[in-house]
Amino acid sequence: MTDDVKVADKTDSLTDLKETDEDLRLPSVVEPAHFPVETIDTEARHQTPAVGQRATRPDGRLHGLGQTKYIDDITFPNMLFAKMKRAGISSALIKSVDTSEAEAMPGVAAVLTGKEIPVNSYGPSYQDQPVLADERVFHAGDPVAAVAAVTEQIAEEACERIEVEYEPLEPVYDPVEAMKDEIKVHPPHSNIYATKRIKKGDLEKGFAEADHIFEGVYSTQMIEHVPLEPHASIAQWDPNGRVTLWSSLGRITLGRADIARTLDMPINKIRIVGTIVGGNFGGKNEITTEPALALLSRKTGRPVKMVYTREEEFIASTTRHPFIMEYKTGVTDDGMITARKVRLVLDGGAYCSWSETTLGKACILSAGPYNIENLLAEAYCMYTNKTMTGAMRGFGAPQVCFAYESQMDEIAHKLGIDPLELRMKNAFHEGSASPTGQVLQSVVVKDSLEKAAERFGWKEDGQ
Amino acid sequence: MTDVTLTINGEERSASVPPETSLLRLLRDEFFLTGSKLGCDVGDCGACTVIVDGLPVNACLMLAGQVDGRDVVTIEGLATLEDLHPIQKAFEEFASLQCGFCGPGVIIAAKGLLDRNPDPTKEEIKDALSGNLCRCTGYTKMIEAVQDAARILRGEKEAA
Repeated sequence: MTDDVKVADKTDSLTDLKETDEDLRLPSVVEPAHFPVETIDTEARHQTPAVGQRATRPDGRLHGLGQTKYIDDITFPNMLFAKMKRAGISSALIKSVDTSEAEAMPGVAAVLTGKEIPVNSYGPSYQDQPVLADERVFHAGDPVAAVAAVTEQIAEEACERIEVEYEPLEPVYDPVEAMKDEIKVHPPHSNIYATKRIKKGDLEKGFAEADHIFEGVYSTQMIEHVPLEPHASIAQWDPNGRVTLWSSLGRITLGRADIARTLDMPINKIRIVGTIVGGNFGGKNEITTEPALALLSRKTGRPVKMVYTREEEFIASTTRHPFIMEYKTGVTDDGMITARKVRLVLDGGAYCSWSETTLGKACILSAGPYNIENLLAEAYCMYTNKTMTGAMRGFGAPQVCFAYESQMDEIAHKLGIDPLELRMKNAFHEGSASPTGQVLQSVVVKDSLEKAAERFGWKEDGQ
Repeated sequence: MTDVTLTINGEERSASVPPETSLLRLLRDEFFLTGSKLGCDVGDCGACTVIVDGLPVNACLMLAGQVDGRDVVTIEGLATLEDLHPIQKAFEEFASLQCGFCGPGVIIAAKGLLDRNPDPTKEEIKDALSGNLCRCTGYTKMIEAVQDAARILRGEKEAA
């Protein structure tokens, strides 16, 4: 599927997009401590009194009373409401943005475009996402302008009156097609923006030892987190030049660093108040509208609130990566896996977000919880002109699980081995080494499988 | 502008709002009853559920003008200063809510059911909560909590 791609060449050009961890490290973060005592190795599988105890949530009562204050439940005097103009075109150059008609509308307090943002890029790993697109649109959900008005309705109508002139560009939507780099999402950078490769043993030898070779391609779709509470933030720029943000953001410390960068101001001038979040699932791990709201508040001298519509949740927030997964597995007659080759293509959408983390975890877990001596796993993350993908529960683990377990079922079926038996033969045991060489402790895969099979009557049902 | 006078949680309230104002916006923005949540604004998620004249409705789909002269109960109307409503108590005890955003809507939908049917089957509870989406906890603990609250309301079980 992707043999002609030279990975090393493709990643070099991206280094300037990325800051090192050291750059992102906050001055307040202290050096790791050196303890006088070695780590105490506690006994594995020790049943603690916490397990099996019934506990109630400390915030459960307020939730049930309807008294928990989420961002949208907070109001400030004289507060304005913001809306964003969405591009509606997946790849284009922005020729001009005319906000004059919107600005002239009664009730409109301020309009903001990308050119007014001090550093118009952000992101938790690569800073490749504009706060408001100013030169180029990378996916249809990109905001191109923001409006603050006395009501949401006025802000929305003002957005409709903003005229944007585009020069449409040819988009690329298919991640495998994007690997060819014929159409670049972020020129001059390659579409392959992150890769990972794990090698173990001798693949050729492993396949030679096999009696059967199984090959399959599996794919999963894009999934939105759909937190019940949409993304919401309020910004208040005070006359001393400090900004306070109330936000549904989950990672406020990382967000604070990102906001300081986009606003080009010291981090101590930025205060983020993280309230109770109405569902995150990984989708609220990075900033979204906060810098734009901060600047709208500075322009107007008033607090500004923005809440995503449910539609914006789907088109403008992160989603789960769709995967294309190629699996080749060598198995002996009695069902022992001798070798496995995995290639993963992750559709990263328009921006990196948490793709690197997803890619890494997916690649490490792609062989499954099985002892495989000879392994090659390769993973590529691709830019496409689609809604960006990011963190979502499991960081890529569920996608690869679907692929390797689907193939295990196919192998069991073809070889006439009970699917449970096939897994028991190959599953990790105490002291097994993971694909990256980590020696595993507290391994209970086999016990869990046996117990589960017993509980739901796997044997009795005759499968 | 549309003039509305209605009873909210036993109290008569009036407001003058633009005609496109939904019942949800009326409750949240005019009366600051923010317990009813805006989740989808199209009647899919049920986070805005309130009781109008005894029946649970999606407040985002009802116009403020439609509730003129009617009786509305919101999540804020369930507990007294002294005690929680048995459904609220059961939801706390069974840890039926995690992020809590869907909670007020679910509890109101459950109250709407138990007011009409004090001894519902599990299927009837599922049916009554079918208009309420939860993304964290799932529905098992909610159903258990509703069953427990029903037993207390019927007097079969002492309140904890």
